[in-house]
Amino acid sequence: MKKNTSFMIKMLCCSLVRRRSRMAAALLGIAIGAAVLLGMVTLCYDIPKQMSKEFRSYGANMVLVSSGRESMNLDDAAKAVRHFPEGALVGMTPFRYIPVRHNMLPYTAVGTDFDAVKKTSPYWRVSGEWPAKENEALVGADIAEYARISPGRTLAIDGRNSKHAKFEANITITGIVKTGGVEDGFIFMRLPDMEAMTEEKGLADVAEISCSAGEKELQDIAAVVRTDVPSLEARLVKRVIQSEAAVLGKLEMLLYLVTLVVLVLTMICVATTMMTVIMERRREIGLKKALGAEDRRIAKEFFAEGVILGLVGGLCGAICGLLFAQFVSASVFDRSVAVEFYLIPAAIAVSVLVTVAACLLPVRRAVEIEPALVLRGE
Amino acid sequence: MALVVYNLKVEMLREVFVNILEIQDISKIYGTVNALRNITLSVQQGEWAAIMGPSGSGKTTMMNIIGCMDKPTSGSVILDGDDISRLSSEELTGIRRDKIGLVFQQFHLVPYLTALENVMVAQYYHSIIDKEEALQSLERVGLQDRAEHLPRQLSGGEQQRVCIARALINHPKLILADEPTGNLDEANEGIVMDLFRQLHCGGSTIVMVTHDPGVAAHAERTVVLEHGRLARITSNPAKDF
Amino acid sequence: MFWKMIFGALTRQKSRLLLIAFTVALGVSLATAMLTVMFDVGDKVNQELKTYGANLNVLPKGLSMLGEMYNLDQVEGEAARPEQHLAEADLGKIKMIFWAYNIVDFAPYLETKIMAGNRPVILVGTWFDKHLNLPTGDEVDTGMTRMKSWWDVTGSFGRDDEPRGAMVGASLAAELGLKAGDALPISGLEGQDLGSLEVCAVFHSGGVEDGQIFAPLRLVQDIAGKPGLVQRVEVSALTTPENDLARRAAQDPGSLSRLEWDTWYCTAYISSIAYQIEEIMPGARAKAVLQVAESEGAILQKTQLLMSLLTILSLACSSLAISNLVTASVMERGTEIGLLKALGATTLSVVLLILVEILITAFAGGILGYFVGLGFAQIIGRTVFGAAVTANAMAAPLVALLVLLVAMAGSMPAVRMLLLLRPTEVLHGK
Repeated sequence: MKKNTSFMIKMLCCSLVRRRSRMAAALLGIAIGAAVLLGMVTLCYDIPKQMSKEFRSYGANMVLVSSGRESMNLDDAAKAVRHFPEGALVGMTPFRYIPVRHNMLPYTAVGTDFDAVKKTSPYWRVSGEWPAKENEALVGADIAEYARISPGRTLAIDGRNSKHAKFEANITITGIVKTGGVEDGFIFMRLPDMEAMTEEKGLADVAEISCSAGEKELQDIAAVVRTDVPSLEARLVKRVIQSEAAVLGKLEMLLYLVTLVVLVLTMICVATTMMTVIMERRREIGLKKALGAEDRRIAKEFFAEGVILGLVGGLCGAICGLLFAQFVSASVFDRSVAVEFYLIPAAIAVSVLVTVAACLLPVRRAVEIEPALVLRGE
Repeated sequence: MALVVYNLKVEMLREVFVNILEIQDISKIYGTVNALRNITLSVQQGEWAAIMGPSGSGKTTMMNIIGCMDKPTSGSVILDGDDISRLSSEELTGIRRDKIGLVFQQFHLVPYLTALENVMVAQYYHSIIDKEEALQSLERVGLQDRAEHLPRQLSGGEQQRVCIARALINHPKLILADEPTGNLDEANEGIVMDLFRQLHCGGSTIVMVTHDPGVAAHAERTVVLEHGRLARITSNPAKDF
Repeated sequence: MFWKMIFGALTRQKSRLLLIAFTVALGVSLATAMLTVMFDVGDKVNQELKTYGANLNVLPKGLSMLGEMYNLDQVEGEAARPEQHLAEADLGKIKMIFWAYNIVDFAPYLETKIMAGNRPVILVGTWFDKHLNLPTGDEVDTGMTRMKSWWDVTGSFGRDDEPRGAMVGASLAAELGLKAGDALPISGLEGQDLGSLEVCAVFHSGGVEDGQIFAPLRLVQDIAGKPGLVQRVEVSALTTPENDLARRAAQDPGSLSRLEWDTWYCTAYISSIAYQIEEIMPGARAKAVLQVAESEGAILQKTQLLMSLLTILSLACSSLAISNLVTASVMERGTEIGLLKALGATTLSVVLLILVEILITAFAGGILGYFVGLGFAQIIGRTVFGAAVTANAMAAPLVALLVLLVAMAGSMPAVRMLLLLRPTEVLHGK
């Protein structure tokens, strides 16, 4: 019996190797199917996460404010930030608001960390340079227009700190910030400069936090922060969170549906391709039947052939699918795709299943036909 | 003891004289077409019979029924003691495998297998493959040096000889040939007919379907069909074999 | 005879040609669905992104928006700033700019301070859901109800025809112990009685609005003594993602060349819409809210790029599948072709025969597939966006071209093989 098994394997190999062009056609079909399957599913899995990162360009989705009347302590804020998951936290930007005067007119000076601003509020449009050195500052577009301030100018400002002690300082404007929002009416300076100017250290009024997480997660974090750092209150920026959830939900659904449609159609295509390839071999099936092969044995041979084709095609397809997913992710999000490795064997298994199913249907039809009809050789 | 000897004698008699194929009053109807009408025919062990007739006379239907690839609408066909008109298609498959060797007009070789492997396919479905035996079978048809060639590398005559080697490999009770020379030129026809003659001398039972009187003349007996009826049976003058 | 043969092949080789037609139909339906969704996904996602709120603020010239963020206390001397207003009557003009069609919604706001429950509160007047008849004859429904869809509202949104109906912010409502259906007595800052408001809803927005009261614009204009005036208008517009040209134009429209200026003006960039609003409303300044505008652009671009790539993938797949199948099924017909050649058919006529046959089949399948694909696109549109997907006129010719190319390409290897065939070989059972 061992000899027979090895002959069957040999026959299989011959069928696969010596009918190269047909097998190539079948393999191509299966590989396309597997590539689409793995590529689309991987993307489907990964894109919502990637998109969620994109949505961070809308800026902070959570703010920390003091729960009391006085300004909050930066150390507390740093403590609160530790409760945010490492990978999801995009950034935390503290803001300190101080009323100041220049040329006898009132303005609001805001002390902040510009590096953090670039992360949490990527929509800021700065013409000129971001402040880098001591006593450099940005001025809002509205003020710049109203008071005719251009980059390079030095402003003398004065005001009183929270203890009503007077201070004065000279700041150099390096750029004009424009957001279309309230920022257009502020003067922004580096937090250390403001601390030195007002002689008050480690204080902020608001800390904006940008974190790629859903509403539920953020609410949990907010609750934890409230209990752990009672001096702070974490508030969700509802507009950003809700809209993100809505849009992301739709996008996700769109992707799932598109994937489903593509998958169903591709699988049917694989099946039809396999069917044509098998239908060609009706005569061979008839011959084998005439030689006395039982239906079961013929089915077994084609089954084995289908499994091999499915495996090889599935493997090639899986590789192409991953490359494709990688390409899409790289060109759309500039990031590499996160591959769920269990999807690879799953994709191969599905392509084997589809291939075998697509083989067996026409084979069953072929063996049902009397060999005489096939062999008469129309 | 005497009984045993007697039984042995009966067995031997059956071997020599008993009909291997007995067709009793068969008809075959396809829809409204009466392909065969009330045909009765028997073929003896070791006989070489030719079935002749013009196109549409029912030759192919006859061949399919004898070859266990089709069943008559009525009547019985007894092949080596089994009434094949009563068997299920599963059982017919078994009969076909064990008792019949088929030779086709279009050769029907598996295109992606070598000559040797094509012979071995028959062994594979029959029982166990045996390369030596398959090679011997090819040697018998004079193709031992073409064993590793694919069908497309062989000439028509060579393909037909592979087909014959395949038909012989399982020692069938009956060799059934459908227009074996229909696709061959004269030279190859000669070679193939010589092969059949050798088989006949070796004791094989051969039923050959043909429309060529020249080919039919090689057989001991010619059965002529016309419009699905048995027109006549002629015995050919004994050849020198 | 040629057509007889074609007809014979089409009617008598049903199963084989049906399979081709079926595969073509599948491929085409996939391609159509993807193309249709791709062409429309920008608009649809853009609509969805409108939940992020207005991307344009229209302000009177000179007014700046100090003190709005985070509920800051009023900056000292704020009142000294020159304060102008926009005329409510002018607002309809926003819907009459070149890109009027892209203005999704807009709502005016007028703020005034009142006393409610013994504490100063900001009362905001707005249009909840206003019906406008434009001079152009168009009718528009717009207002805050449409723009603040992300608010959590307990009760029903306010209505413009209920002069004293008001929506109260969640934190204020909690402080004053109000719920929908309550009456809220209000008075002026100097204590003069202003009657009472009917609380029709309590809302939670997560922003400064939670401490404010929203009422119909007319009421607030009366209280503030500013009849027919508004302070600012929020506009929500569908925009095209910004590019270099748009950025340069936003800096200074004067720096563009004539051609660039035309391109910019006739593209729905946020800056060109802002410019057009300023053009039509001379006393106004339209400011793009970059937080919304820029992010929208980024997300739109990503979505569109993503969909295009997926569309290309599915187009490639269906092309390969179709041409693969066509190749396989034409190859099968070696015998028939050999016979035709043996009968003296010229190569050209054989090739023509095959191509015409395949093309007829492919187009039959293609037409079926096109409509099935439109169906798929509608299903996707309905399920995902709750709106019909507009069938883009571009999809049909693109798909037709695709079918043509794919069917031809699929037949090519087979045709090449057939041309090399020698009739005798085919007929002698190879």
